[in-house]
Amino acid sequence: MIEVRGLTKQYGAVRAVDDLTFEVQPGKVTGFLGPNGAGKSTTMRMVLGLDRPSAGSALVAGRPFARLAEPLRTAGALLDAQAVHPGRSGRDHLRVAARANGIPLRRVDEVVDQVGLGPASRRRVKGYSLGMRQRLGIATALLGDPAVLLFDEPMNGLDLDGVRWIRRLVRQLADEGRTVLLSSHLMSEMEQTADHLVIIGRGRLIADASMAEVMRGESARRQVQVRTPFPDELTGALLRRQLRVHPTDVGDLLVEGASPETVGDVALEVGVAVHRLAEVHNSLEQIYLDLTGDSVQYRVAAEPVPAGQVQR
Amino acid sequence: MSAAVLARPAEPGTGTVFLRAAGAEWVRLRTVRTTWACLLAATVVIVGLGAIAAADEAEGTATAANPIVSTFAGEYGVLLGQFGLLVLALLAVTQEYASGSIGPTLQWTPRRGVLLAARVAVPTVVATVTGVLLALTADVVALLIDPELTLPLEDAVAGLARIAAVLVAGSLLAVGVGLLLRSTAAGLATVFLLQLVLPFLMQSFGVGWLNDVALWLPGTGAVRTLLGEPDSMSLGGALALQAGWSAAALAAGGWRLLRRDAG
Repeated sequence: MIEVRGLTKQYGAVRAVDDLTFEVQPGKVTGFLGPNGAGKSTTMRMVLGLDRPSAGSALVAGRPFARLAEPLRTAGALLDAQAVHPGRSGRDHLRVAARANGIPLRRVDEVVDQVGLGPASRRRVKGYSLGMRQRLGIATALLGDPAVLLFDEPMNGLDLDGVRWIRRLVRQLADEGRTVLLSSHLMSEMEQTADHLVIIGRGRLIADASMAEVMRGESARRQVQVRTPFPDELTGALLRRQLRVHPTDVGDLLVEGASPETVGDVALEVGVAVHRLAEVHNSLEQIYLDLTGDSVQYRVAAEPVPAGQVQR
Repeated sequence: MSAAVLARPAEPGTGTVFLRAAGAEWVRLRTVRTTWACLLAATVVIVGLGAIAAADEAEGTATAANPIVSTFAGEYGVLLGQFGLLVLALLAVTQEYASGSIGPTLQWTPRRGVLLAARVAVPTVVATVTGVLLALTADVVALLIDPELTLPLEDAVAGLARIAAVLVAGSLLAVGVGLLLRSTAAGLATVFLLQLVLPFLMQSFGVGWLNDVALWLPGTGAVRTLLGEPDSMSLGGALALQAGWSAAALAAGGWRLLRRDAG
């Protein structure tokens, strides 16, 4: 488990992380979401004791990470796959890590096999592709068989095979009961991977809720798109029913909080032809963009979405 | 208390953590080529210069009746060849900041005091032991080149001890500067200026106050310790001067590692 309490990081006039509090539970993949510059990496670096918080604290498995004697046996992390000495072989990189944590050398061979690095592990990192570096970084994170794992944008720059591999891996790690915190700036990646979401923007917590809760929050904002040759008549009828209606770019109407059945019935009552009637499935991507967009505070204040623990 | 808590093996003590961190530093050093390039350069310069000095001496004053001790070979060699070893010590620190691998390093050894101790100790020991062995080699090679030279045990020990002192002080200075500046280029420039360029440059103009300032530089202390010049400075004074610079560099560099963000 990871516990973050009131974590704050101030760089001069800029508050990169602002009073962040959340917990990451074992047995789940927790998606750590936010636009670039939201403070995800800074938060992870503070959790791992790399950067000093201006205020607040973080505990990994109940202890400050920077006090651990054998940290790799408690938590493994991949923050920056490029942060490896280019002149050292992947295997030697792992040997240094093993040596520092009293981990037997056979574990190095095991994780090299586990991530599929194979014979390339004996080559110098200089010649590695980004995908190979990500695999090396993940091998390092797994070296001590830790209960807690942190991955910062692990899918960045990977091809489809690499992305699928990481999805399967984090799923498996969480199913084994480990705590997995996975950051990304792309909602679409999380949609298929995460069980729980911690969403931040401008260093502040926006949402801390299960994926299911976020989905329920979305369904509360269900929209119906309707195409009709008589939009004015239909708009009038819908407004009389207290429904909110917006015209779309293509001349259709977007009706909020209504089902297609309701909209169809209203059209029949006023005798207006309907050429298209469809429920609009707002993607999580859209919700996320709404939540983290410029009007973050207004929207969160105005609409209780997602349904979980929303904080201002 | 649950059985699981009781069954959990005790965490290793600080001594064990330090030995592991030092072991990791050693693996770090020997698994990059730059280390071996530095050692090769130091070998060529120390033994090569020593041999040249001995060959020069072979045409000179030493006679069987009035023998000269061959330790000058290692001392001249180390005067210049120390830079291969100081670069090794400096790069051991600054390469981590250039590549960003200080991040993983601190994830593996997050107790910064322990990391600092290992990071200071390992390159210093490697540079010093190597330098002393190379100087001894140069002294012996000098004996082979000029049979009129001698190498009594106590002179050899005293000479190598002075060389060891210079290399310990220089390595500590390089590691401290590296930890403080976190940049290979800035670190190299600083160490070279303090240890070699400024002491010679400032004394080359024959200006009184420049000479006086040069007497406070660590490189002047190193030259005094190795070659006995200038004789206005005592050996104890020279050692204290180098120790002071090393301590200052380590304090500043250590403060940056212990108190600031990883980088």
